[in-house]
Amino acid sequence: MDSQPYQPIRPGVGMEENFLSIDDILLSHERLPVRTECVFPRLGFLEKSSDSQDIAEGTKMELPLWLSKGLYERNRKVLSIELPKVYRDGWRTVFNADPNVVDLHKMGPYYYGLGSQMLHFENPENTEIGQTLLQTFIGRFRRTMDCSQNAYNEDTSVLLERLDSLEKALFSSGQSGLNGFQSWEKGRASQLTASTLVLNYRKRKITEVQS
Amino acid sequence: MSDATFEDECDVNQDDSQEDVMTPAELIAKLEEAWLNEKFSPELLENKAEVVECVMEQLTHMDANLQRVKKGDMKASIHRMEIDRIRFVLSSYLRSRLQKIEKFFPHVLEKEKCRQAGEPSLLSPEEFAFAKEYYSNTEAYLKAVALKRMPPNLQTVDMLKAVPEPCLDSFVFLRAKESQENILVEPETDDQREYVVDLEEGSQHLMRYRTVAPLVSTGAVQLI
Amino acid sequence: MKHASTVFPFHRVIWLNCLPSPRNEAKAGRTELIPSIKLRHCCLLRNQRCVVAYLYDRLLRIRALRWEYGSVLPANIRFHMCAEELQWFNQYKKSLANFMRSVGGGDGLDITQDMKPPKSLYIEVRCLKDHGEFEIDDGTVILLKKNSQHFLPRWKCEQLIRQGVLEHVLS
Repeated sequence: MDSQPYQPIRPGVGMEENFLSIDDILLSHERLPVRTECVFPRLGFLEKSSDSQDIAEGTKMELPLWLSKGLYERNRKVLSIELPKVYRDGWRTVFNADPNVVDLHKMGPYYYGLGSQMLHFENPENTEIGQTLLQTFIGRFRRTMDCSQNAYNEDTSVLLERLDSLEKALFSSGQSGLNGFQSWEKGRASQLTASTLVLNYRKRKITEVQS
Repeated sequence: MSDATFEDECDVNQDDSQEDVMTPAELIAKLEEAWLNEKFSPELLENKAEVVECVMEQLTHMDANLQRVKKGDMKASIHRMEIDRIRFVLSSYLRSRLQKIEKFFPHVLEKEKCRQAGEPSLLSPEEFAFAKEYYSNTEAYLKAVALKRMPPNLQTVDMLKAVPEPCLDSFVFLRAKESQENILVEPETDDQREYVVDLEEGSQHLMRYRTVAPLVSTGAVQLI
Repeated sequence: MKHASTVFPFHRVIWLNCLPSPRNEAKAGRTELIPSIKLRHCCLLRNQRCVVAYLYDRLLRIRALRWEYGSVLPANIRFHMCAEELQWFNQYKKSLANFMRSVGGGDGLDITQDMKPPKSLYIEVRCLKDHGEFEIDDGTVILLKKNSQHFLPRWKCEQLIRQGVLEHVLS
């Protein structure tokens, strides 16, 4: 009935990031291919491939999303951000052809999240990226939902293997609905149970609960 | 509900000018309505302190009456069960409010600060005290453990920006208690236009919370 | 903690502190340093965010402990908490108790009980570990011995079940 006492901060919706969300922190750790459009004096030591004191203009490197977002400016050339492969035209064609065949865990696991974040950088292909994200999600949603609603008491690791992190969250909320319904049907919904925390601690063999 | 335990009527003072007298059954219906709405709405709703207070009084009253009943009386255990059930609904209601207060504390307090005089408060006095303590406790903790050791310009965190706001775009199930006409529904996608719907009395719908939020607060629809 | 590895160690912050500090250098008119200063600032903000998010997540977990274990925490859990966290927990406990005491104006209401809708007044429970004597509301004292089975008022057992002392047996 009442929801779990520990509820982590959820990731932001769409282009938003939640400051305190650990999922969003992990998402913004994803790396993007960038090219510097100005000199970064005295930061040469961050770029291991050269010995110079500065990071020169035109250096190609990979930066995490959070840093790219922080440095990127619309009106001034500081960084230009390239699209990661999965959002480029070639892969978009694959996604549009049959979104169900792609392994979004391998391509992501923040395929939707990172894709939405890419829209912060004014890329001429933004409209197409947005469309592909949406169509991919719609195309795969049916299957994600069916799987999560029908896998009762089963090993779900195979089903989860190819899902993006957003899809995984949907999958598990579907599963908790299914499990809740099943236990209600068996008349077990009103059974009082030990807290999951207590069970976890017991699993870790730090047993004795003192009171 | 039997007369032995529920003999009194309950006064509900919504404000000084208007006084409603409710039967216990109406009171419990009010509590259930508030409970379901609170449970399913993504944001904190206006507090129903007067309902809570009346239900608490009823529970005490019923309990006192039960003390007088002979042990082993069949009726007594039915009444005790009734008390347990009402207490569950009341606790669950207060819990879901407290949970939302904790989840959105900076926003809840900000709303309270911006409230016009005469406008009803979201928080009951106890909830307000709780929210304020939660804020200062959390702020003090973050400061003591980490922020005070950081460079001067990073020693504060804007809680209003850091703690996410309730997501009003989430979808809710609802039942119309009164007929409603011309509810404006925002488009879902770029190639859709906004349109209007009518809600017939007793009909059930799945809609964005944002669209029906005003109807929830007036009591025209019930979240289910 | 699950995601502890995403928190940057503090030494990283200090290390970034040897970069040009914004005020002095920018004032000195060295505008070409601006991109580097900005990069440094981004890193500091990132570290701040990681640290704060990690600490806040811990608070949410500690909060859950109050609801799952009650107001007294087992020593092995307290052992994992720092002094400030214990202080936060104690204050949270106090705020919650004040709230529950003042609900409805009367004697108050323990809202950490009644987590599930009641189906019956009494329930069958099995004792999972020795817990000693236990008094039920009519004054009877019973001995909770490992593997013993009892028929007890539901609301008296709820917390012990949550703590894993008793197990609810369905008939």
